[in-house]
Amino acid sequence: MRVDYVRMAMLDDFRLLEKNGFRLLPYKLAASEDDAAQAAKKIGYPIAMKVVSGEISHKSDIGGVKVKIRDEAALRLAYREIMDNVKGRNIDGILVQKMARKGIELIIGGKKDPQFGHMIVLGLGGIYVEIFRDVTARICPVTDDDVKEMVEELKSHPLLEGARGTKPIDMKALRGMVLGACKFIMKEDIKELDLNPVIFDENGGDIVDVRFTR
Amino acid sequence: MDERLKKLNYVFKPRSVAIVGGSPIPNKIGNVLMKNFIDSRFTGKVFAVNPKYTEVLGMKCYPRVSDIPRPVDCVIIATPAETVPGIIEDCGKNGAKGVIVLSGGFEEVERNDLAQRMKELSDAYKLPVIGPNCLGVFNPYTRVDSIFLPMYKLQRPGPGNIAFVTQSGAVGSTVLDLAAHFGMGISKFISYGNGTVLTECDMLEFLERDEETQIIILYLEGVRDGRRLLEWMKRVNVKKPIIAMKAGKYGKAMTAARSHTGNLAGNYAAYKAAFRQAKVTEADSLDELFDFVKIFSQPLPKGNRVGVITNGGGMGVLTADALNDQGMEIADFSQESKVEFRKILPSYGNVGNPLDLVADAGVEAYEKAVGVMMADPNIDSLAIVVLTQTPPIDERIIGVLTSAADERKKPLVTISVGGEYTEAYKRALESKGVPSYDSPLAAIKALRRLTDYSMWKRKLK
Repeated sequence: MRVDYVRMAMLDDFRLLEKNGFRLLPYKLAASEDDAAQAAKKIGYPIAMKVVSGEISHKSDIGGVKVKIRDEAALRLAYREIMDNVKGRNIDGILVQKMARKGIELIIGGKKDPQFGHMIVLGLGGIYVEIFRDVTARICPVTDDDVKEMVEELKSHPLLEGARGTKPIDMKALRGMVLGACKFIMKEDIKELDLNPVIFDENGGDIVDVRFTR
Repeated sequence: MDERLKKLNYVFKPRSVAIVGGSPIPNKIGNVLMKNFIDSRFTGKVFAVNPKYTEVLGMKCYPRVSDIPRPVDCVIIATPAETVPGIIEDCGKNGAKGVIVLSGGFEEVERNDLAQRMKELSDAYKLPVIGPNCLGVFNPYTRVDSIFLPMYKLQRPGPGNIAFVTQSGAVGSTVLDLAAHFGMGISKFISYGNGTVLTECDMLEFLERDEETQIIILYLEGVRDGRRLLEWMKRVNVKKPIIAMKAGKYGKAMTAARSHTGNLAGNYAAYKAAFRQAKVTEADSLDELFDFVKIFSQPLPKGNRVGVITNGGGMGVLTADALNDQGMEIADFSQESKVEFRKILPSYGNVGNPLDLVADAGVEAYEKAVGVMMADPNIDSLAIVVLTQTPPIDERIIGVLTSAADERKKPLVTISVGGEYTEAYKRALESKGVPSYDSPLAAIKALRRLTDYSMWKRKLK
């Protein structure tokens, strides 16, 4: 997770997404160091940890996030460091989550247009999303063919097809995720949705960060 | 809406027209409208309606529409907004078939009450209403003409198969004037303004069935029901290609976006998405609008392989660049074609695509080269560069290109760059329905749009 802060409400968001068929990276809210260690063992390393609190809005700034934790020893040290950094704050726990795969960062978004209703957006994601603005959109519901066209319309399309020695990303998984996002925003009447980034490689994709408003 | 759309036929082919606000005072809208009907070849009956006069421009003037002794097919209203609902009701009593409201002063100035009343009366009398706040209609076949701009200032195009539906009257009239200037024929001009009763969707539904219309231009500023527009575009575009243009792409967002998606995809993104989903051809400028519209009069190509003919090497290279840029294929000629081309070319000429006939080429060389390419199974469409400035090219080239286009075997675009002489030649081509372009890129862009549309339609089958 790359977000700066995690609120309890976010876990509700996670649950709603899961209810709608999204497969999120395995996660658990841990209440103690042992709890976190046990969760990580179950999830499998490497993992990321981040503080869950309604009080802390810029969590990286105060040291509330630790990523790429590879084993239990590192986890225990990281846990203590986070707890020390957030001393004196009200926290709900520590989110332990599987690290995302490496690959191409995309954004899958949705919004409700006042005239056209729900629409779905696909683009190059990550932190440069608004600089490159390499996005394309369709009105929901969309077909598998629509999504194929969307992928082909992206300027970064060659990147997705495998450039400079990388393998093509799992297009079927990508199309499935776009179709799923489309269904989700329509069914739950979502106003704005960001799945950004979602990281894809040849074996599939991981949703790294989620934000939506109803 | 069905009954009202059927009645809409009368608005375009009226046996009688009433002009409410008809006036003897020069430059008043009601005066220009009357004159336009008198000066044109409109064969139906024209009534003036205005309680102030008993006669206007030598015609009997009635105080109200309901005073006209028989039902009127098309009533054109050009009186202040407050008077409009009353007049529409009066039209209903007359048994009128349809109404055009030119007057402004409704939704655009927050007078939704007047618009609402108009809707109710339209429902009650099953009366189709175009407008308000618009230029109304022009049909070159019947010469019905509610455009309140004098004919000497704004030319009207002749009959053709292109329907032009526009929300903006100002842009619409400009395009109409240009179309007339280029010799482009139209089937119907519809400026629907606020679209209070009949919207752009109703116009698409109407034009889908209109026999004179084969191509539709749709100029939009904003719509109320985007989903309905998408459905109608999808449905009509399959039968009659739609060239759409959206103005106001970068208007203020309705609500401040909080997500990346909200920032990346404004309201125009939804229009663009809808155009793509309906496979409607989108023009980004008025130049593109004309460029794209004229190519859709051509037959649909079977593929994207283009044969290029030129009498100037450099223009051939530019055309090849444009083909690459637009993702079109430079065709490989068949063996038979190559043999034929060798016979046309001078001894120092090279057989290749682009086929450079060189500056010595006369009209006969063009005629043969075009004929060979039309027969070559490896070529789907033709791009023909003619530098009219070379000595052997004369006016007969127009006949050669026109008859090639008239065979309707393969689409062709012509490209000519030059001054006054070239312009005259191009206008002659355009008036005969041969698309002519100023630049290779503009021509190939248009060809690409036609090819995309064609490929999509072939996939549907």
